[in-house]
Amino acid sequence: MDLSNEQALSRKRLNWVAGGILLGLLNTFAVATYGALGASRNYVVVDGFIARLLGSDISTANSYLSQMPSQADWLLMVGLGMIVGGFLAALATGTLNMRSVPRLWISRFGDSKPKRFASAFAGGFLLLLGARVAGGCTSGHVLSGVAQLSIAGFLFGAAIFASGIPTAKLLYRKKES
Amino acid sequence: MILGFLTIAQAAGETANDTVGIVGGTGARAIIFGLVTGIAFGAILQRVGASSYGMIVNMLRLKDLTIMKFFFLAVGAGSLGIYLVDAVGTAHIGIAPLYLLGITAGGLIFGVGWALSGYCPGTSLVAMGEGKVDAAFTVLGGLAGALTLALTWDWIKPALVDPLNYGPKNLPDVLGVKPLLVATVLTAVIVIFVMYLDRLGKSHKPTTGETRGTTASS
Repeated sequence: MDLSNEQALSRKRLNWVAGGILLGLLNTFAVATYGALGASRNYVVVDGFIARLLGSDISTANSYLSQMPSQADWLLMVGLGMIVGGFLAALATGTLNMRSVPRLWISRFGDSKPKRFASAFAGGFLLLLGARVAGGCTSGHVLSGVAQLSIAGFLFGAAIFASGIPTAKLLYRKKES
Repeated sequence: MILGFLTIAQAAGETANDTVGIVGGTGARAIIFGLVTGIAFGAILQRVGASSYGMIVNMLRLKDLTIMKFFFLAVGAGSLGIYLVDAVGTAHIGIAPLYLLGITAGGLIFGVGWALSGYCPGTSLVAMGEGKVDAAFTVLGGLAGALTLALTWDWIKPALVDPLNYGPKNLPDVLGVKPLLVATVLTAVIVIFVMYLDRLGKSHKPTTGETRGTTASS
């Protein structure tokens, strides 16, 4: 995809003010109907489902997995909906993007697929390990937690930027300027 | 992939009847509301560009704060909305327990994964839906990371979760002030802060050669 296409694509985006207000309203709707938005718990639930399908008993024997629901609940459907919502929004606006390596990544690390897939996998591993140690992620602890004025949410929000910013700066250090 | 996910969910549901850990219920209405809420959540994140590696990494590099402004504004608008609902009716508010070690350590680990993948646990799902192949690897890595936590939980809990654990703590209780007042002040502070960030971004743009990088959409 060339640069002019990229710019046209980003110009088609929803601006941050409208997006922010819409997401705030959606979070209000969620809390008014069933509960606060969250994403990271679903990974543990799906791990339990996969274990059960494979005939493993760890979904009941493991002290953490056994605390998770063994059937689809409201929050799991939110996670499934996010995949569908991303697909539908991209389809409706002609922004479906089957690329393997992001453009910014190529500009710094080259276009090797295995290299990018390894970083994406390792990043995902750390994301969910950290989120589950903390008991929530950007959605549960910050979007929902801070909005509900939870002190844990403020602490988690500070911690993710405290390591995320230096890590990103380190990954993209030097190189022209 | 989506069909497979549903099949897994249904197959797993048939084998169990317990109610442990359920969030928001498992009835038909809860399932439909969850799906619709998730679709709207995913669509908003996709339309704003929050499921873009370039937008997230450029935010963490402090080169383009669009997603930070979007997200902070969403927190503020949500806070005001939630406590307005709470003031006039029933809101399903759930405050997470505050345990200093695990939340700090978990957050620091999360931040490294965030910068490395360019996604969050939620935005990786959205990006996967958009067709981005690397996001599917982040989701797989996430499943492995969550499983690793589950398998080590008996060691992690006494080390990081049980000590310095103050239970659910929210700001209004600690301050002894009405929640709606705290939410209103937080929202006002956030609005002023994102307006400041926006002004900062606008005064920076023409003077740097970084504007190209800010349009990175993938």
